[in-house]
Amino acid sequence: LIIGASAAALQKNVSVGNPTKVELTCKLDEHFDLKNPQVTWKRGSETISHTSKTQNSWTIQLTISESSQLGSYSCILKGEVEIIATFHLQVPEIEGKDRPIITYEGDLAVMVCKTEYAPMAWTWYMSNGTELVAIDTSSHTDKFRLKRQAANINRLEILKLTKKDIGVYWCEAAFRLGSSKKSFELRVLSIIAPLKPFVAVVAEVTILVTTIALYEVYSKRKEGEREFDQIEQL
Amino acid sequence: PEAGRAPGPPDGGWGWVVVFGAFVSIGFAYAFPKGLAIFFKEIQDFFGTSYSEIAWVSSIMLATTYGAGPISSILVNRYGSRPVVMFGGLLCGVGMISAAFCTSILQLYICVGFITGFGLALNLQPSVIIIGKYFLKRRPIANGLAMAGSPVMLCTLAPLNQFLFDNFGWRGSFLILGAILLNCCVAGALFRPIGPGTALVKTQVAEGGKDALKGKITEDGKEMSSALNIPTENKTEEEGEKDCFEKINQYLDFSLFKHRGFLIYLIGNVLMFLGFFAPIVFLAPYAKHTGIDEYSAAFLLSILAIVDMVARPTTGIVANSKWVRPRIQYFFSFAIAFNGACHLLCPLASSYTGLVVYSAFFGLAFGMVCAMLFETLMDLVGAARFTSAVGLVTIAECCTILLGPPIGGILIDTFGDYKYMFIKCGAVMVLAGTFLFIMNYYNYRMLAKEEKERKTKEEDPKSVRTENEGRKNWNKDSTQDGPELEPLREEGERVKKEMNGT
Repeated sequence: LIIGASAAALQKNVSVGNPTKVELTCKLDEHFDLKNPQVTWKRGSETISHTSKTQNSWTIQLTISESSQLGSYSCILKGEVEIIATFHLQVPEIEGKDRPIITYEGDLAVMVCKTEYAPMAWTWYMSNGTELVAIDTSSHTDKFRLKRQAANINRLEILKLTKKDIGVYWCEAAFRLGSSKKSFELRVLSIIAPLKPFVAVVAEVTILVTTIALYEVYSKRKEGEREFDQIEQL
Repeated sequence: PEAGRAPGPPDGGWGWVVVFGAFVSIGFAYAFPKGLAIFFKEIQDFFGTSYSEIAWVSSIMLATTYGAGPISSILVNRYGSRPVVMFGGLLCGVGMISAAFCTSILQLYICVGFITGFGLALNLQPSVIIIGKYFLKRRPIANGLAMAGSPVMLCTLAPLNQFLFDNFGWRGSFLILGAILLNCCVAGALFRPIGPGTALVKTQVAEGGKDALKGKITEDGKEMSSALNIPTENKTEEEGEKDCFEKINQYLDFSLFKHRGFLIYLIGNVLMFLGFFAPIVFLAPYAKHTGIDEYSAAFLLSILAIVDMVARPTTGIVANSKWVRPRIQYFFSFAIAFNGACHLLCPLASSYTGLVVYSAFFGLAFGMVCAMLFETLMDLVGAARFTSAVGLVTIAECCTILLGPPIGGILIDTFGDYKYMFIKCGAVMVLAGTFLFIMNYYNYRMLAKEEKERKTKEEDPKSVRTENEGRKNWNKDSTQDGPELEPLREEGERVKKEMNGT
């Protein structure tokens, strides 16, 4: 982490899925002259001693082996001004669609979850009121299909949608150091829903084309009469 | 005979209604493929395909729209603009409606790629062609206004597509978009047939009681045809020989390949398109690459579109002025080179402000080129042969248009840096602009020489006289201002040249 000249709160997220060694470095930007700053690494109220240090960078090394060791670690530079930079060590987050998924009755819905590192296991849940009910994909193969596109990408397909399937679905990625969840909102519309604007637009097109055609016939008739009169005069 | 004198294109009146129709039609043809990009991520997830497989939908659509150009030209030569555009609109609608029910990516290729792409091709060409039939004096303005349809439609479609997608998902959106595309039929309905060749169509539409009168008009129509030297006269003259080659030639004028101006345009434009679209495709990714956030990057494209929107009609007005119109080819070459210069300077812009300035200038240059794209072709080959010319040009451009962005992509991937792509595009366009400038200078000189030769022949008072009367009178009408002063005369000659399609 390189610190610039600003005193704004600096944050960085570090994804840690499985037990590993992590090195955190706070480095002072050369343009910023904080003469002989006092640097402390802290986690909450606990101070951690430096592992290594150079003229403008301070490093600590951590061995993360259990979930309680995850959290926020800060390095505090005290000089003329105080600068704090924070590293958030957390389980990898799941990337997925944030917007509601809109599908139609009889169609299939697709939910894709992606993480930075491959988790130990993936589980999918359905929201039943406030409870989360796990989806058993192996027994309901005509309704649910699970696909592993890669170790870190998991895909749930829900087939033969009905209005009963509307709700919130969760995918959970389990790591040794914890698990992360993501929710998807599923909306099932009937085919009538888009038909209304569709019919409206088609009606508009028909009306306009007919109007233009009628106007043209009318003006041609007038023009024909006028030409006829002209020829008569000649 | 008196009625034999060509009245000339109206240059107004219903013509402006036609410009509006062309605005809508051209807008859909250019903006719709770009607007679809919003749906791609969702469709990619839905079918579980890779990004490149989805990109093929766009490519097939673009390829069909440009590649079907000659077919479009043949149909317009045969049936006129109106039925072709209406059929095209119908085809687009059917394509998108069936796309809403697709269950595989292959079906999407067919429905969205081929069918809708073909429908858009049937929209694009005839719209441009009919402007040439309705306008002569004010044609650059008409062209500029009609081409402005593209950025306006894009700015409308982008948020509309997003709205539809948020409310109806991709399937419902395709269904509704299919209905929206049917509006191209409305645009087509406005394309009232006009001009000498289509006087024949008038007889068909005629209502009873005035057949004798209509018959006279058709005769005049045929005489006007011969005065204007349109390919359709082949039909009336040589009834006897109808071998295959001539038949094809009457629908699609391959003799254009012997036309000097056409060849210059073709080579210059084919070269230009290699570097034309790639910067737009990569502008937003480049912005994100330099650390700009997604919304600001999208805003760059909006700036581009807004400047483009204003630039096109403005360029039309400028190109119509009496200083620029005779030298419109130079103006066109300048616009292309200006475009190239922008791209070459882009790598120097590293901050967001720099990119904003680049987007604005790019929008200006892009609009200038697009506004004059078809106008210059019309200027070179004349309104009569333009139908075939535009078809042949688009199918040639098809290849380079498709190659441009992928080549840019390869450059970016190989060097890991966007600047080589910009340099390549800039260099190609500056080269194309310079080529066109030099070759058109040569062409103007040759035309002036040929005009001198023709003048000496005109001293001969034979049957050629009536033809020339017709031409000269049209010439008089079409010069910008009243009295035929010496300097204006030359300009008038040039305009005459383009009308005769030399």
